[in-house]
Amino acid sequence: MMLASFGAATLASYLVVSGILLVIGVVGFLVRRNLIVMFLCTELMFQGAAIAFVAAGRYYLDYSGQVMVIFILTVAAAEAALALALVVFMHRQRDTLDPDAYGELAE
Amino acid sequence: MDPVLPYLACLVLALALYAAIRPSAITFRIGAIVATVAAAGWLLGIIAGYLSSLEGDAATPFFIIFSLAVIAAAVRMISHERPIYCALHFILVVIASAGLLLLLEAEFMAFALIIVYAGAILITYMFVLMLANQAPDPNEPETMEYYDKIPREPAAAVGVGFLLLCIVTGTVLHGTSDLPPRPNNTVAWHTLEQLPKQFEASILELDETFAWPPQKTEQGNAIQFDQDVAYVLSAENVRLDLDVSMAPTNTQSVGWSLVNDFPVSLELAGVILLMAMLGAAVLARKAIEIGDREKRNVLSTNEEKAS
Repeated sequence: MMLASFGAATLASYLVVSGILLVIGVVGFLVRRNLIVMFLCTELMFQGAAIAFVAAGRYYLDYSGQVMVIFILTVAAAEAALALALVVFMHRQRDTLDPDAYGELAE
Repeated sequence: MDPVLPYLACLVLALALYAAIRPSAITFRIGAIVATVAAAGWLLGIIAGYLSSLEGDAATPFFIIFSLAVIAAAVRMISHERPIYCALHFILVVIASAGLLLLLEAEFMAFALIIVYAGAILITYMFVLMLANQAPDPNEPETMEYYDKIPREPAAAVGVGFLLLCIVTGTVLHGTSDLPPRPNNTVAWHTLEQLPKQFEASILELDETFAWPPQKTEQGNAIQFDQDVAYVLSAENVRLDLDVSMAPTNTQSVGWSLVNDFPVSLELAGVILLMAMLGAAVLARKAIEIGDREKRNVLSTNEEKAS
């Protein structure tokens, strides 16, 4: 498939959308107190990164950006499997999803 | 352009986001989300307007629809009190950003994102949510867990987000004009040359009388370029211009780039997935402690059954 040219203003719009998505993910991670929703917010940040990768790759007519998204998917899947196993494990111990309840781990 | 204007839009977005994540009446929250999306649209409009005055291309209506849908779903996701709806709104984020990827002509990634994210990862999240959370009665808000209702430090979080957004906006705004020049669009033809069977088949489809194989240049490339036109020379020096429809598809190009440019990363990705699978199995296994008395009980009941 031949790709048509693609201006810097369009690239900038995509980058700003991905930046807003990243920021919303960060805010959600800081604000939410439910462990599972906090991990969902990290997935939101991954999503922002994926859009930025594909947009930049499209601008340079290079497919490496899309290959990076495949690796993002891999890492996201691995993270989801491990993090959710941990969450289930912790929920069995304390019967709560509030990360503050596990505060003594930090002491 | 007024240099303060994009940062003002960032500030408005941050304030609207703050209103959206604080606990309040549902109508107020919806209004705050609409304000957040409007501020995001304003910010996008400022940036696209400034940069298109330099270069002269504009966003398509589909881009506006999909990007605002992504942002609206994301804000609703972090502001919704019930975790299962957070997961559902994240699926909406994935679908809308797959739309953005379609606009970027990355069809394979768009559908892989929907299948893997919305189809597999989010289902895992939903399962764990159903395992861990007692679903609250929607008519009785007091049955909801306290940690879903009360946000932690919304003001500080939105402050951090505002600073981060300002950095991203400033970088995009000032850095885009200094981007290195774009390469010519020859990557598709180079990929086609790496797929010899398809190369031959598509050339013979274009011209049955073409004498395969084509001549090669000194660099070993069969496809040569005459400004924007790609062509091949046959052994009898007949020139054949290549048709745009012969270029490899998005999936072929991504696959080629994956195995040609990143073979080690591909292996590492496999190792990561394997380790995650093992780790999850080890973590989720329930350790059953069997004391001496239980063992004796089990043994005696077995003996009773045997006799």
